[in-house]
Amino acid sequence: MLNILLRYTNLIIITLFILSLLSFALAYLFPGDPIEIMTGLKLEELQKLQNQSVNIGYDPEGGVLSQYGHYMSELFSGNWGVSFNSGQPLYEEIMQSLPASIELSAYALTISLILGLPLGFIAALRHHKLPDYTLLSFSVVGYSIPVFWLALILILVFSLHFGWLPLSGRLSLIFDVPNKTGFILIDILMSDIDNKHAVLLDALRHLILPTLSIAIVTTTLILRITRRSVIETLNSEFIQAAYARGLTTRQVLVRHGIRNALIPILPLLAMQFPTLLTNAMIVETIFSWPGIGSWLIQAIYQQDYSAIQAGMLAVSVFVVLFTMSIDMLLRLTDPKRKKVERGTI
Amino acid sequence: MARFNLYQEEQHPSPLQYTWLEFQKNHIAMGGLVCLVLFILITVFCPLLAPFDPNLQKTGNILVPPSWDANGGITHIFGTDGLGRDILSRVLYGCRMTFGISILLVVFALLVGVGLGAIAGMSKGFRSSFLNHTLDSIQAIPTILIAIIIIAILGTGLVNSMWAIVLALIPQFVHQTRDFVRSELSKEYVMAARLDGASKIQLFARSILPNMGETLVMQATLALSISILDISALGFLNLGAQAPSSELGALLSQGIEVAYIAPWNIALPGGALFLMVVSVNIVGDGLRSALKNRLLH
Amino acid sequence: MTLHACDALITSKTDPNGIVYCSEGSPSSFNPQLDTFGTTVDASSHQLYDRLLDFDQTSGEIVPALATSWIISPDGKTYTFQLRKKVAFHNISTFTPSRYFNADDVLFSFNRWRLSTHPYHQVSGGRYPYTDSLNLNKLIKSVKRLNGYRVEITLQKRESSFLANLATDFAIILSAEYAKTLTARNQKQLIDSVPVGTGPYKLSDFRQDQYIKYSKHPEYWRSDKLTDKLIFDITPSSSLRLAKLITGECDAIALPAHSELEVVRQQDNLVLDEEPGQNVGFWAFNTSRPPFDNPAIRRALSMAVDRNALLEAIYFDSAIAAQNIVPPTSWAFQPDVKKVNFNPTAAKKMLRENGIEDGFSMTVWAMPVKRSYNPNAMKMAELIKGYLQDVGIQVNIISYKWSIFREKLSLGLHDSVLIGWSADNGDPDNFYRPLLSCAAIESGTNRAMWCFEKYDQIINEALDYSDTQERAYFYGQANELLAEQLPLLPIAHASKYQAHRKELNGLLINPYGGIRFGGVTKH
Repeated sequence: MLNILLRYTNLIIITLFILSLLSFALAYLFPGDPIEIMTGLKLEELQKLQNQSVNIGYDPEGGVLSQYGHYMSELFSGNWGVSFNSGQPLYEEIMQSLPASIELSAYALTISLILGLPLGFIAALRHHKLPDYTLLSFSVVGYSIPVFWLALILILVFSLHFGWLPLSGRLSLIFDVPNKTGFILIDILMSDIDNKHAVLLDALRHLILPTLSIAIVTTTLILRITRRSVIETLNSEFIQAAYARGLTTRQVLVRHGIRNALIPILPLLAMQFPTLLTNAMIVETIFSWPGIGSWLIQAIYQQDYSAIQAGMLAVSVFVVLFTMSIDMLLRLTDPKRKKVERGTI
Repeated sequence: MARFNLYQEEQHPSPLQYTWLEFQKNHIAMGGLVCLVLFILITVFCPLLAPFDPNLQKTGNILVPPSWDANGGITHIFGTDGLGRDILSRVLYGCRMTFGISILLVVFALLVGVGLGAIAGMSKGFRSSFLNHTLDSIQAIPTILIAIIIIAILGTGLVNSMWAIVLALIPQFVHQTRDFVRSELSKEYVMAARLDGASKIQLFARSILPNMGETLVMQATLALSISILDISALGFLNLGAQAPSSELGALLSQGIEVAYIAPWNIALPGGALFLMVVSVNIVGDGLRSALKNRLLH
Repeated sequence: MTLHACDALITSKTDPNGIVYCSEGSPSSFNPQLDTFGTTVDASSHQLYDRLLDFDQTSGEIVPALATSWIISPDGKTYTFQLRKKVAFHNISTFTPSRYFNADDVLFSFNRWRLSTHPYHQVSGGRYPYTDSLNLNKLIKSVKRLNGYRVEITLQKRESSFLANLATDFAIILSAEYAKTLTARNQKQLIDSVPVGTGPYKLSDFRQDQYIKYSKHPEYWRSDKLTDKLIFDITPSSSLRLAKLITGECDAIALPAHSELEVVRQQDNLVLDEEPGQNVGFWAFNTSRPPFDNPAIRRALSMAVDRNALLEAIYFDSAIAAQNIVPPTSWAFQPDVKKVNFNPTAAKKMLRENGIEDGFSMTVWAMPVKRSYNPNAMKMAELIKGYLQDVGIQVNIISYKWSIFREKLSLGLHDSVLIGWSADNGDPDNFYRPLLSCAAIESGTNRAMWCFEKYDQIINEALDYSDTQERAYFYGQANELLAEQLPLLPIAHASKYQAHRKELNGLLINPYGGIRFGGVTKH
């Protein structure tokens, strides 16, 4: 166990190091001056700051190696430079938008799990029967639908036609909720504003459509994964043996089926994480959700390279930490596994 | 020359034929295949099918509703967009662009992926493990992020977004090939070939590759649906195909401007896109279950 | 129980204490002295500040604001203003005013753009496009404080449009005391980003490309009703603005798209106001670049484009075709100038005669934002591209982010540009001088980069007279000169529209300039 922990810590550190190198390299690959990109300030402004003997953290004449040293030390001190476009510190902007994305994806994932897992089981248990076919065709439709089109249709129907739900942002701008954790529902519950109930309701109203758009696609993925896994488990020999011992279907499922079917599902679910994130980023731009996805895409439109560099690093570090921790967790719970199993949905 | 049938036994279909027979039994899959063939025909014969030039602007004919609408006309079956361009033609050309490019990308990714996978499968040690880790990292990064980096460096455009998608597609082919090669290497027929003195390249090309065909086609259909969704998503976000282009995602994003007054501008391109992905996925599913059934027997 | 919860989730309740206005972009600063563009003006001029004079929103007449009365000397050169008493400046977290508005503030506000030696002149770049383009800095000889509430402004020469210029969105009054405090703190640049004025609302929060939040100025001098909060929700896409208006996420929207006006009219809970526009949308040729310095080529290009088709496709018939640069409602309008007729064959011939061969390529810059005078420049550029292709000219359409676009435009990097102008006051001089005078090249409003001595002479002469009939004679000459030279091709005068929800009361179209939320309420 310690062995696994050590191995993974090692792996994470190496990967993060490579990521930092890549991110540093981006400053040189993007059009423009590397120092401008790393600080977000124009060279003239930097010159001015230097003349006022303000420490800018970089040495304009230094070599690449010393530049990398400066870059890392600035990164760790939380000084990620400022955005070309808004002039705001990037660290703060990212720390506001990243939680918004995580929050949205987390709710969508939760809903998908709550719906997808049981439906997958139902489909598998009624293999080659009507419920299976119904669910299967629903799932083909669900995971073939382009998420941006789905979101647009949901907006057309629920926002514009019926006028039930808002279509942009995460909270009406009228309300001011102090930003503590970056997760809007938690922030509202923690705050001491007077009309908490109304604000909470407003936040929920804003959440419904974006969450639903992502969740519909993710649910169908989970349904398919679960169904396959359960069917495979039910066909395996130990299940046959359990039946042979005279257990009822229910007993077989509870004692042997569910657990053994779930174990191979988990790594496959983790593999869907990039898809989930991609969908979340697209949905964010449609619903003007102030998350990291719409933030990065805005940065691309405005050629805000300093923002792209910092945002990229933040997201990729998050993705790496997340997937590796899941991976490690799986290894710890199931030491038999040699490596991540890959599969198709 | 007609062959004389000496035995009374029923004919034994080849594995390929068997898969096809299994596939045919599945009516939904056949429907998907028909749809898919339709899209292939559109892709090939688009200029003959489209009634108008997709970029022809008719200022007198702006936002004409489709022909089933009370205000619609017969000239423009799917209506026109905000610049008076015929939507049917634009959707047809859009299908061609999205579908054609996706196929190109998949073929490219398949070639590279199988090559790399073969190397990874046949070799051991550092080379293989390095490749593994690199591919795992690429696979863990959402396509859109890869696209953003490439586009930030090279600028927006269809070709640049294509690189991002190819990069995202390659790993699964590599994994598929490597795992397959690994499992085949221990089988007797490969061993026999090896004992005959076949080199690694011969081993792969002559013995293993012919057995991979169906799995690869199945994987390719999966990749195709991902590729279609990705290329249109990037077009939709204005990161891929740019404004006057009729790529389906770009069409959708151009349609948003008039979404409320002319909903057919987003309904029709979106519907075409959806149909395309559904048919690809249905065919993929059908292939997979046909393959599974064959192996079971 | 669940039903009740569902009900609560889907019934939108709007807060009567706040107005949300969906605007089209981020302001470049919160000081309209620095920027003539509508977005900045909307976000600052009438919300944060007041002027000495105002235009009456319905009649367009000049009415008292911070100046309660004024006297003009018989020679028309000296203006004396009596100032309003007990007008409070905003009290913000970093500044608490200790006194009411007085003559010092007027002196500070005028001298800032007027005198290049003023300590605040160079702060935020030192360019004051509106006043510079009208040469107001040279026109004003002196601004004198007679006493705390009396100011005297002397001009070099008589100029009939002077009072109107003082009532425009750009002649705002800043706080001299705030400036002094900032100087002491060595934070001069904050004067335009953390503003202090006397207007109905004060700035409380701004996030670039996301929102501007204002709160009520409790001691506002007018008796206007104010809501606690005013929010500008920055939404660049016009279809999204309309969608938000329909769902009630916005109470009012900027610049409804012409194609969507019918939708607004059909919705029961929405109101659409309309006014004939005091603006002009045009296609300007960069006359400083060959071959566009040749009037014949400019004419040929103009003839290759069917303006009536543009009108239909871009403005959806909510605009009238432009003959002059001034709209027909202006007394300087002249219907019988030399017309440019759509004739591609003649245009092609003319181009060949002037050495433009098949395959010549030029750029058309299309502004990335929507304005009433050109609701969709991108689309117009695409249409023009189609027309010019027919006469053998390749067009590259160019567009940048708005701020970069304007920066590059004022450097004159374009071959031609689709842009326009909205009048800031009722005086026709407001079209002729900022758009095409030599001085306007420097201040960045002359998009044609056109400097024509005879033209400058005519329009300056027009200002020496106060009688409109006499002035109209000169503007008639100017119109003819423009029709002959065609430094720009006027395309349309578009109506000005404003869409808002029924709950909103008191929101009027301001014919000259920015939107005004003082006195707007919601129930």
